[in-house]
Amino acid sequence: MYYKHIMLPVDGTELARKAEKECIAFAKSIGAKVTAIHVVSHFHLHFQPWAAPRSVHTKIEKEHEEEAGEIAQKMISALTMRAKADGVECDGLVVVGDHPYEEIINSAEARKCDLIMMASHGRRGLDAVLLGSETVKVLTHTKIPVLVVR
Amino acid sequence: MFKNILVPTDGSAMSRRALGRAVRLAKEQKARITGLWVGPVWQPTLYAYDESVPAGFISPRQFAASIRKIAARQLGAARKAAAAAGVPCRVVSVQNNFPHMEIVKAARRHRCDLIVMASHGRRGISRLLLGSQTSMVLAYATVPVMVCR
Repeated sequence: MYYKHIMLPVDGTELARKAEKECIAFAKSIGAKVTAIHVVSHFHLHFQPWAAPRSVHTKIEKEHEEEAGEIAQKMISALTMRAKADGVECDGLVVVGDHPYEEIINSAEARKCDLIMMASHGRRGLDAVLLGSETVKVLTHTKIPVLVVR
Repeated sequence: MFKNILVPTDGSAMSRRALGRAVRLAKEQKARITGLWVGPVWQPTLYAYDESVPAGFISPRQFAASIRKIAARQLGAARKAAAAAGVPCRVVSVQNNFPHMEIVKAARRHRCDLIVMASHGRRGISRLLLGSQTSMVLAYATVPVMVCR
């Protein structure tokens, strides 16, 4: 088998769903396994420092990250179940970080993935830019080939 | 899953590596590859002095001959790699000063379902994060694009 382990970054959008379908179909056709990843951004509160004590900030940020993490975990679990139902070996990962591209690449390299398959655009949609910013960043910072789904 | 892979090539080392990946993938998928080379369009260099023919002028015929030679060499490499792997291969050469347009068009015209190309071309990695033609293909392609470094 040429590609053995595909990293699939997802962000919950329609286009990511399309990338997921194509990734599963491709993985199935070559007998590869898939790791799906969703990156939750750190939630940074920008209050005036004197408006609330630091501890309140931290508490709110932490609660948001936990909740976002739970929602993401549900999404990723549903994805891995769909993959397995289709006969594709698949596991999932939710990571919290400020730079999605960095987390995606670190995870792909740590797991020795030989291909990254992802959508061309993310949440901000197709209209604003010719190619999504995180997709561009993944492309430019890794030697692993990236298959961009439109 | 992929049946016909379009492989644009510009003779650079990076595009040769992308070709290698495309051929290996095609072999595994029992697909064919379509090699594509896009050359520049003839332009007279216009120096206006004396109404005489300026130095460095190359006629359209001379230009076309050198284009044919370069295309044959670049695409010959694609043919050879495909043949060595037992992968069916068709080669196409076109002239356009905007290669990305021809790449996107070729994918449609030849019914390719995947484009495999290098992240950068001849001008190399140092100046741009992502090659200009690869960027434009990613923006306008209607099929998935695999970008290789």
